[in-house]
Amino acid sequence: MSDALVIAGLNKRFGGLRAVQDVSFTVKQSETVALIGPNGAGKTTSFHLITGFHHADSGSVKAFGREIVGLKPHDVCALGLARTFQVAKPFGAMTVLANVMTGAFLRDRHVAAARETAREAIEFVGLSAREQTRAKDLTTIDQRRLEMARALATQPKILLLDEVMAGLNPSEIDQAVALVGKLSQAGLTIVIVEHVMRAIMAVARHIVVLDHGQKIAEGAPKEIVENPEVIRAYLGSGYVHHLAGGSHA
Amino acid sequence: MADLNKWSLLALAVLAAVLLALPQVVTNSFAVDIFIRILLFSFIGVAWNLMGGYAKQLSLGHAAYFGLGAYTSTIMQIDFNISPWIGMIAGGVVAMLASLPIGWLCFRLRGPYFTIATIATAQALMLVFLKFRDFAWGAEGTTLPNLGSAPLMMQFETKASYYYVVLGLLAVGLLITYRIEKSWIGYYLVAIGEDEDAAEAIGVNAPRIKRDIYMISAFLTALAGTFYTQYIYFIDPATAFSFNISIEAALVSIVGGIGTLWGPVIGTVLLETTSALLQSWLGSSTGGIQLTVYALILMAVILWRPTGLMGMLNEMLQRPAHHEKPARARSVL
Repeated sequence: MSDALVIAGLNKRFGGLRAVQDVSFTVKQSETVALIGPNGAGKTTSFHLITGFHHADSGSVKAFGREIVGLKPHDVCALGLARTFQVAKPFGAMTVLANVMTGAFLRDRHVAAARETAREAIEFVGLSAREQTRAKDLTTIDQRRLEMARALATQPKILLLDEVMAGLNPSEIDQAVALVGKLSQAGLTIVIVEHVMRAIMAVARHIVVLDHGQKIAEGAPKEIVENPEVIRAYLGSGYVHHLAGGSHA
Repeated sequence: MADLNKWSLLALAVLAAVLLALPQVVTNSFAVDIFIRILLFSFIGVAWNLMGGYAKQLSLGHAAYFGLGAYTSTIMQIDFNISPWIGMIAGGVVAMLASLPIGWLCFRLRGPYFTIATIATAQALMLVFLKFRDFAWGAEGTTLPNLGSAPLMMQFETKASYYYVVLGLLAVGLLITYRIEKSWIGYYLVAIGEDEDAAEAIGVNAPRIKRDIYMISAFLTALAGTFYTQYIYFIDPATAFSFNISIEAALVSIVGGIGTLWGPVIGTVLLETTSALLQSWLGSSTGGIQLTVYALILMAVILWRPTGLMGMLNEMLQRPAHHEKPARARSVL
């Protein structure tokens, strides 16, 4: 498998705070990688750096071999990297269909074609029954579905999901996990930021752990949960026990 | 036009017939003057609405383009004897070009800061025309030569002719808006107005779309400037760059319903009619009372119907076929 996303030596400072320090990791094509760590570890900042919403102080991000640091968010999206936001940002006054069509216009400016693409994406995330609902009237999980559908409509190769499961109840988390699994099966390369460990264990093949802006570990899920450094910084000593008990962190 | 249904087409045809017949039936020149004002401000509102309504970039500086249009055609007519019909297009082009640096500066700011910056640009332009007497007659302005009936110089003997000119402008503005609203650009504009970051994240080149729409909006507003100057035969910086023009452009759209095709028209009909009626009923009594009542009506609309009158209509007439278009923008207040 070739490398879809190669991040090397990424740095970002906000005043005196080093939000991201020398972070490097690689995402192989069609692989699902999870980015975990405590609040303020630099996960969302890394997403902002990769997708062009923040400018990296130094470092490189290569998507399919092409340097994307310095590009504007819309250019990054046009190259095939789509993202969702930690706090869902639906176009509230638009219907679900219009929201997703707006994403689809990136690849085809024709209304009929965009509607077609949008309907497929909406069906994929299981939101067809809500097609004509105004986005601001959706429930939390449906807004997350909408964000994913809108991102999918841009026909990305790499999907970056920022805490799509935050605020969902356990049965909704199961649905979301199934959806991410489905996206992965469809061949998408996925980078997911998440706190829900149960979900991460279910979807990720590879985990990168950040703490205070630095990468402190990476590896297969099994190695990560047993890594003493990760347990100290993030999971807590009760975690392995918890996992065995079936509840989520 | 394919998705216009039978009834909309019929309604449109009836409306067009009524509007075309109106100055033939109502010949009272005071009434025709009010009709012209309504059409003119509807047109300015429609031009403003592209940027301020759909994309929610609340500009209060559109007088800049109104004034540039007015001065360009007037200077061309008086100094070079060029027809205002040509001057009108030239004015539009000047406004478009001026919108590039103005937009480049103002669009760096968002929300209220953007609004303040647009006010400043219009005021600055007014000062330029006040101070530089050599090419634009300074503060006292100038009257246009009265050529009698000279249609090629945009001068007419009857008010009805002016009425048809501005009706044509409004039709063009509405057609452009309609085409934009139904295309990908309409979706992009509403998306930018709703959440610019989210729009960027799905590939919307927000700065470019804003720049392009701002140019169209400026072009159309400049046409109104030329028309108005030709209609009143007079130009000075205080009229051409009047802050009232900027306010009115935004106000009629907000009252009628921003981000809707007909919002600015409905808003203007309501505001201008109210204002004219109040003027004739109350104008001769205590000074300023008509303005007070006018202000109260405005406040009532904004408090109770923040989505504008189109919002109210849409809620009453919610039809499934209508859901799919980018739903109207919400209140900006």
